[in-house]
Amino acid sequence: MNVLRHVEAILFVADAPAKPDDLAKAIGCPVYEVEEALEKLGGRLHHDSPLQLVRIAGGYQVCTKPEYAESVARFAKPQKTRLSRSLLEVLAIVAYQQPVTAAEVDAVRGVDSSYALHQLLDRRLLTEVGRKKAPGRPVLYGTTQQFLHIFNLEDLTELPPIDRALPQTVGEDRVAEQGVFSLE
Amino acid sequence: MSTTREIAKPDPVTALGVTQPPEILVECEAFTGSLATLFLCVRDGKVDLLGVPLAPICEAYWQYLVESSGTDIDRASAALAVLAYLLERKAWALLPTEGDEPSEMEPDEPVEPWIHEFAPAIEALKALAEQRGQVFFRPPESGTEAYELPLDLGDVTLFDLSRALQRLLEKAKPEPPDTLRKPARSLSEMMTVVLRVLPPEFASLDRIVTGEFTRSEVVWWFLALLELIRLGQARVRLHEGEIEFALAVTA
Repeated sequence: MNVLRHVEAILFVADAPAKPDDLAKAIGCPVYEVEEALEKLGGRLHHDSPLQLVRIAGGYQVCTKPEYAESVARFAKPQKTRLSRSLLEVLAIVAYQQPVTAAEVDAVRGVDSSYALHQLLDRRLLTEVGRKKAPGRPVLYGTTQQFLHIFNLEDLTELPPIDRALPQTVGEDRVAEQGVFSLE
Repeated sequence: MSTTREIAKPDPVTALGVTQPPEILVECEAFTGSLATLFLCVRDGKVDLLGVPLAPICEAYWQYLVESSGTDIDRASAALAVLAYLLERKAWALLPTEGDEPSEMEPDEPVEPWIHEFAPAIEALKALAEQRGQVFFRPPESGTEAYELPLDLGDVTLFDLSRALQRLLEKAKPEPPDTLRKPARSLSEMMTVVLRVLPPEFASLDRIVTGEFTRSEVVWWFLALLELIRLGQARVRLHEGEIEFALAVTA
């Protein structure tokens, strides 16, 4: 069986990042064979294709190369999703300090951030990740896979380091609880 | 100290500016009078709360709740608010404090925002977004969210699940009369209960759920079951037209 061709076919139709485990399961072969095929496919696309294979949001996905951006954009007319300054501020705080509560975001910005938080939740860039062990059990927010996708990141460790070291905690002791539905 | 209690006469006017709490009479060395008056005296610093035992007052309040039929929720909550205030004040009074007790009226120390420290992060995110805008992926199929794919339940439809719940509800006993009781289990506790009774092999709900139960218990139980299915800790299938449930198979 030519695993490379199967992988390529699946990635052609995939509209979200595909994990090697899922590809192996779909094809019916060991994961290492998929990984080998991904490496070969990546190399081939890199040298001789307008497409490229990228690792993004915890999986692999095929996308166009930047040099074709203009013509693709003219044809596809992608919906522009600009993030305003306030949304970017809140997103940056949550991305680098997660999990954080709304009050902690407010404390960093010095203004109420509930509107921005709701906007980012609606856009699926943020999600609720638990509740803080504090009076009122406030909701803790974190970033999503969609966030990784929008910012071309494989995972959170790829967030660019920023010059000044940020405090490890925002406000008081920060202990993320397990989700309310998880069982011990 | 003794406390006496009588159901308050309908008198919505109150010294507290809210609904009058029930007439709980407090009698002790430090103070004699109604609960509402005690509140006012403590608030104005006219009574030393350390000389007023609060436990008997709480008991009298509890007795009021248990015995009075058709308790006025506004009056009951007014009393609860007064008791909470008194308990807090007494707790403060019992604490050894070097400085003055913090006043609620004092504004909090203003916190200096430090968003400027995130400026590099914001610029980095902007750059990443710009870079990402130069490449194009296959857009998600319309109608489905890329990261929110529905759980695949095979042949089982929402209608089948709804019918299973309906059958359980039909077997449920009517709710008992409204009495004070222990609070219901949390959903996570109920999930633990459901996990305990779910068999490893598929079985119908009739076999799994035995004994007597009320409608609210059924709804709570079924909600926990649905959550377990969503989390992959329980399985569901249709077998000869009958919906069956089992524990998830662990590898």
